[in-house]
Amino acid sequence: MADIEMKDDKSKDKKEEVKEEPKPEPLTPAAEIKQNAAQIARAVSTLEPRFTHRVLRSLTALRKKVDEAAIKSAVEGVYTKDSEAKKTLLSWLPATSPGSLEESMEVDSSAKNASEPVPEVEVYLRLLIIYQLLSSKDTYAGALDLAHQTVEKMQAWNRRSMDAIAAKVWFAVMRAYELGGDLADARPLFLAAQRTASLRHDDEAQASLINCLLRSYIAYNLYSQADKLVSKTTFPASASNAQFARYHYYLGRIRAVQLNYTDAHTHLQQAVRRAPPARTAPGFYQTVNKYLVVVELLMGDIPDRGLFRQEVLEKALGAYFDIVKAVRTGSLAQFQTTLQKHKDQFEADKTYSLIVRLRQNVIKTGIRRLSLSYSRISLRDICVKLNLDSEEDAEYIVGKAIRDGVIEGKIVHEKGWMECMTQKNNYGPEVSELFGRRIAFCLNLHNQSVKAMRYPLNAHRKELAAAEGAREREKELAKGIQDGEIDDEDLGGDF
Amino acid sequence: MSDLKTLYESLQRAFYAQPPDLNTASGLLSKLKIGLIESGLLLPHGDVNFGDLVVARDILEIGALTSIRSKNIPSFDRYFSQLQTFYTDYAAQLPPSKREYPIRGLNLIRLLTQNRIADFHTTLESLPAEIISENPFIRHPVNLERWLMEGSYSKVWNAREEAPAEEYKIFIDSLMGTIRNEIASCEERAYESLPLKDAVTLLFFTNQSDLLTFAQERGWQIDLSAGLVRFAQKGEEKMEIPKQKLIAASLLYARELEQIV
Repeated sequence: MADIEMKDDKSKDKKEEVKEEPKPEPLTPAAEIKQNAAQIARAVSTLEPRFTHRVLRSLTALRKKVDEAAIKSAVEGVYTKDSEAKKTLLSWLPATSPGSLEESMEVDSSAKNASEPVPEVEVYLRLLIIYQLLSSKDTYAGALDLAHQTVEKMQAWNRRSMDAIAAKVWFAVMRAYELGGDLADARPLFLAAQRTASLRHDDEAQASLINCLLRSYIAYNLYSQADKLVSKTTFPASASNAQFARYHYYLGRIRAVQLNYTDAHTHLQQAVRRAPPARTAPGFYQTVNKYLVVVELLMGDIPDRGLFRQEVLEKALGAYFDIVKAVRTGSLAQFQTTLQKHKDQFEADKTYSLIVRLRQNVIKTGIRRLSLSYSRISLRDICVKLNLDSEEDAEYIVGKAIRDGVIEGKIVHEKGWMECMTQKNNYGPEVSELFGRRIAFCLNLHNQSVKAMRYPLNAHRKELAAAEGAREREKELAKGIQDGEIDDEDLGGDF
Repeated sequence: MSDLKTLYESLQRAFYAQPPDLNTASGLLSKLKIGLIESGLLLPHGDVNFGDLVVARDILEIGALTSIRSKNIPSFDRYFSQLQTFYTDYAAQLPPSKREYPIRGLNLIRLLTQNRIADFHTTLESLPAEIISENPFIRHPVNLERWLMEGSYSKVWNAREEAPAEEYKIFIDSLMGTIRNEIASCEERAYESLPLKDAVTLLFFTNQSDLLTFAQERGWQIDLSAGLVRFAQKGEEKMEIPKQKLIAASLLYARELEQIV
């Protein structure tokens, strides 16, 4: 219990911290960038990556707010002296309007004695500029150029304190390639960088790069290569949740293609759990859930109806809901029409080939429904009810269903019917196995949360100091006794 | 280079001859492969002459088809992986080969006969959707897989004559063996007994003696007087308590609880 409470408190603290920052006055984007730059500088000087992480957390929100003028004035503010870095940074931004120039002048005067900022800040500003360039179609090429330059600079500096920002830069590089060029061309660059990152134990960049590579493989349907990459690399355990969510999502897709639905299901579920809340990142949430629904159907389960009622998912998963209905009723005809109707959407979602595989599940469900409602049914009727092509097919299909354990029954060939037997009581060792799996999950969750707890740095020093003080007092006491100043009787109460 | 050219020409002669001279062709192929390696065309990268690439691709394609015809499946596998570079990485630069889809289809069938369904789907995923549904060479294995999974074995049987290319038939025999075993295992569970005559048709045999040898292999009892095949009934499944597992699980819980408390 104690553990859980502590965790709660901590998360509350964190939230308050975050809330406090914007409270005093709504900062202008430019001011926010400057503040972030200061934070990064602080992180580098105190060797405390926490500050950098905090800055990067706000990246997505900030990206939507900033415009060129804001970045420009921030650059002016951060670089007080004229330098090479400032010139290059500014060269990526279009000429300023007079309004923001004034603002930047003002800032200049306020921070006159600042020295040259650390390289991390420059990379951070470059990152913002790349995203700014990526926000409009005309500047994609520029973004790609800048991304290349930034990567070269990053590799030349080779600073460990830059790792967290570097990971974000790699993602931006991938976006630049994806939007402005061919993602396949970026692979050699990423592979080389991934090797370097793994040699340097640069976990954050490694996680980001593995995801970039997986994305590029899967975008081109190269599942076997993606699978090989996964088997040859280890995804760093210290990676951030966002990266883990992506990684699980890609793994889920690979496993689904390989017909390993159980694994695919676990990974996709992890992806949903690790993903940011549905409202902040609806796109990812919807995509993962689309795959999750299909994989669940392929496993023979019917997804929860509540899933389709969620506000974020209702519209996006409409087509999938129709498919679920068709599979549930076990009607091949309905399945085929639904498939045809939504074909374009499924192809756009890249789930079409998976959904086509559902055909056999539809047949199986149909047979199971028949076996539950009839104790004896002729093969001809099965054929008619399931829209099969011939009685001969029906016989083979029923035979296969019996062998696969879908239904309990037997075929009497001479009479041309199927006899169904009562379902056997399914209370065997599997139940305890399932139970054991769930317990293992809970235990693992507990252990993981214990591991994930953070303690304030140097907290043990205080305790040490207190212990030191106690020892000191004890010594004095001992001395006092030796000197005969304190009588044994006085101490009696204490002992 | 001139060596390669003469070898290539004689390979073409051997391959296109009626009937094709497979022995000569495979002898020439091993020489040609060495030649390709020497000129850096077996696994090309960087800037290479596209004309040379087309020739290299042609040689490898002939190699793949030759190995299929001489029923050398591992060798086909190697040729196919070497061809992958030409089909995927140079797809934009090279003129499309008319043998590409037949060879891809053959590879799919090969995966199917070896029961490597996961690989089958992974390979399939790399092809565009319209090719899968329209190209006859690809559609054939895709349909076969679907029928196999459903259990529509008679459709697979009927489709064996519809193979889009001569080479596909080489795989049909082993595919039929797979199907027969599938059907047999279904029958063992689904029927108590089956008339001999019907068993022959269900298993796609042409005469009863084939069935009898097959039944012997699978250990079925043949009742000749009644004309029935009897399948051994599986007795009541014994319920066993997995002691080891339960003990291990309980110990694990005890240890975990100890850690928590």
